[in-house]
Amino acid sequence: MPREHTPRVIGNRVLLTLWLAAAIGVALLPFATLSPNRLVSGQPVMLWQALPVWQLGGLGLIAAGLLLAALARPLPPRAADWLGLALTLPLLGLALFALGDYAQRALAEASPAARVSQGGAFWLLLLAAALIAVDALQRLRLGLLSRALFALLALGLIGACLASDLLAPLSLMREFANQRDIFVAQGLRHLSLVGGALLPALALGLPLGLVATRSRRWRDGLFSVLNVFQTLPSIAVFGLLIAPLAALAHAVPWLGELGVSGIGVAPAIIALVLYSLLPVVRNTYAGLAGVPATTLEAARGMGMTSRQILWRVELPLALPVILSGLRIVTVQAIGLTVVAALIGAGGFGAFIFQGLGQYAIDLVLLGAIPTIVLAVIADFLLQLLVAASRPPGTR
Amino acid sequence: MIELQGLTKTYAGKRVVDDVSLTLQSGEFGVLIGPSGCGKSTTLKMINRLIPLSEGRILINGDDVTQLPVEQLRRRIGYAIQSTGLFPHWSVARNVATVPQLLKWPKARIDDRVDELMTLFQLDPAEFRDKYPHQLSGGQAQRVGVARALAADPEVLLMDEPFGAVDPLTRETLQAEMRRVHAKTGKTIVFVTHDMDEALALATRIALLNGGRLVQYERPIEMLVDPADDFVREFIGQADLGLKLLSRRFVHQYQRRARLAPETGLERLDEHAWLVDAEGRPSALAGARLDDADAITRVKPEWIATPEMSMKEALSRMVWYRVTALPVVDREGRLIAEVGMPGVMGIEGDGGAIEAAP
Repeated sequence: MPREHTPRVIGNRVLLTLWLAAAIGVALLPFATLSPNRLVSGQPVMLWQALPVWQLGGLGLIAAGLLLAALARPLPPRAADWLGLALTLPLLGLALFALGDYAQRALAEASPAARVSQGGAFWLLLLAAALIAVDALQRLRLGLLSRALFALLALGLIGACLASDLLAPLSLMREFANQRDIFVAQGLRHLSLVGGALLPALALGLPLGLVATRSRRWRDGLFSVLNVFQTLPSIAVFGLLIAPLAALAHAVPWLGELGVSGIGVAPAIIALVLYSLLPVVRNTYAGLAGVPATTLEAARGMGMTSRQILWRVELPLALPVILSGLRIVTVQAIGLTVVAALIGAGGFGAFIFQGLGQYAIDLVLLGAIPTIVLAVIADFLLQLLVAASRPPGTR
Repeated sequence: MIELQGLTKTYAGKRVVDDVSLTLQSGEFGVLIGPSGCGKSTTLKMINRLIPLSEGRILINGDDVTQLPVEQLRRRIGYAIQSTGLFPHWSVARNVATVPQLLKWPKARIDDRVDELMTLFQLDPAEFRDKYPHQLSGGQAQRVGVARALAADPEVLLMDEPFGAVDPLTRETLQAEMRRVHAKTGKTIVFVTHDMDEALALATRIALLNGGRLVQYERPIEMLVDPADDFVREFIGQADLGLKLLSRRFVHQYQRRARLAPETGLERLDEHAWLVDAEGRPSALAGARLDDADAITRVKPEWIATPEMSMKEALSRMVWYRVTALPVVDREGRLIAEVGMPGVMGIEGDGGAIEAAP
């Protein structure tokens, strides 16, 4: 049977799948929970119980629009993708607004200790909006700049909700309000741990990667050592560093005065550097080894010195790969720094472990969400940097 | 002038280049040729010290290459390689400017030189200056590679199978261009290839190597007619020796006077004759077509010869279009002579002229 005669009904399977998953999730999972105090687990509140009619209607309209975007007709594919992309913003806005609005109404008639938290359906709506947007951006083949612009728009929307008092009644935001000063301090600590680990990792890793391209013997030894570090579980490394560092600080008092001790920042940074080294070295090596042999022969034949070849030919051509390595270690270090809170290094991880200890799930989220946001932003910025570093001749 | 004296390269006890001695005079186009593994590339790379020599000496204009600082030496020697080795992150102009920049020429001089070289290689500077290597065709990239090698006006140009990776048609164009550039610049060139036709098309001297040893060093035609031994004979390929000879001969050496046809009585001609139009361009040929000797054949652009054309190409056109003579035209397309089978057989021409109709 000739294919062109069977009409296509579904234009975008990804969008339809996401739509169905979100619909099922919303039907089965609570949109929010209402609990008498911060530590007791709450009563589930379903979406249709939490939202007034006009909000449900708005959500229904958005859902209908997304379904239309998923179908092959009547919209042409590009228009459908644009529609899907455009609808993710009101979806995001409505989910945030509805949650804050519900919390306000529910708490008005409850005891002062009562808490409203977001539920699974809320997260699912956010996740669906994010994935639909990513899918649409890919289908539309928009450039990095347009993607950045859209991301800024979405972030702006979230930022506006956070800045206004709309979400203030939420349990998560009340945890934040209680911990505001500590939150800022831990955020700065998190960033300085990541930065404090990346700088030495680059300072060590770039030359080591260069050495690996110049000498085969060094390369083999180097990579086997670094591979061992990479396979050790992070908690074990943090733990293993406690004894030797404590002994070192005891034996060499001026190191102790500088802040080196078995727990805290010093072992955290050492462990993070060890984890970051392999990707930096490996990508530096891969980038330099990827420079075509004929290019290098031509450079030597033209009379460039080794130093000129390195700075003018090898590094510019290897830079995108090296920066991809930096992107990997930055995101990895932001995540690993969470674990460093276990040995008293601080950072957003402190909220997570404190929340786990108290069984206060909103406190856990207060640590987890900014970590994720930080990682996503860092990833995106470095992606921009990688694209910008690509020489015009190889883009 | 380049002198190789007892040049030897030993790898792990094996002599890959074995006691090679030859002298290439200034302005000559020397081709190193031989089967793969014969040491021709190694010999070339020892000249600019990309490979250190084991024994012997290399002199460029009397200077021992090992006595010069290596980067300085290389900046005096142009170097072009197969698949160009162009820097992919630099524009065409910056690639060409590589060595002048290393030599710290003033910017204005570099710009002028880049434009001059691009024009020499028939790349319009306005169009190509700011392109990147990946935007070029194979032939264009190779031209940029050679232009880059010539940028700092080196005493010597080394070329390592530069046209090895381009298609046959482009290769022939590039060879013609290389001949032209060599004639115009008078550079001393050392060129490595494994293709005898390429060597014959370009060389003023051919050095044939085998197993690291120099087997014969000779002018192309002498090598063709007087091969040193069986290996040379076999390498040249005996079957089309005659055709190879023709590829070293050119129409201007064999062109003869062309007879113009009378206004009337064409059918009573005893010899073939040409018809020309008002500007003197050949329009038709009477009586030299193989299958209908009496008839008039219109001249097609495809079977017109020029004085610079090789006799091999002229013969090829005669065979393909089944004519026993081709018109030879000047730059304006006017008939100046003809070339035919006597020329192919090696009978020298009279320089060519137009003979009026009887």
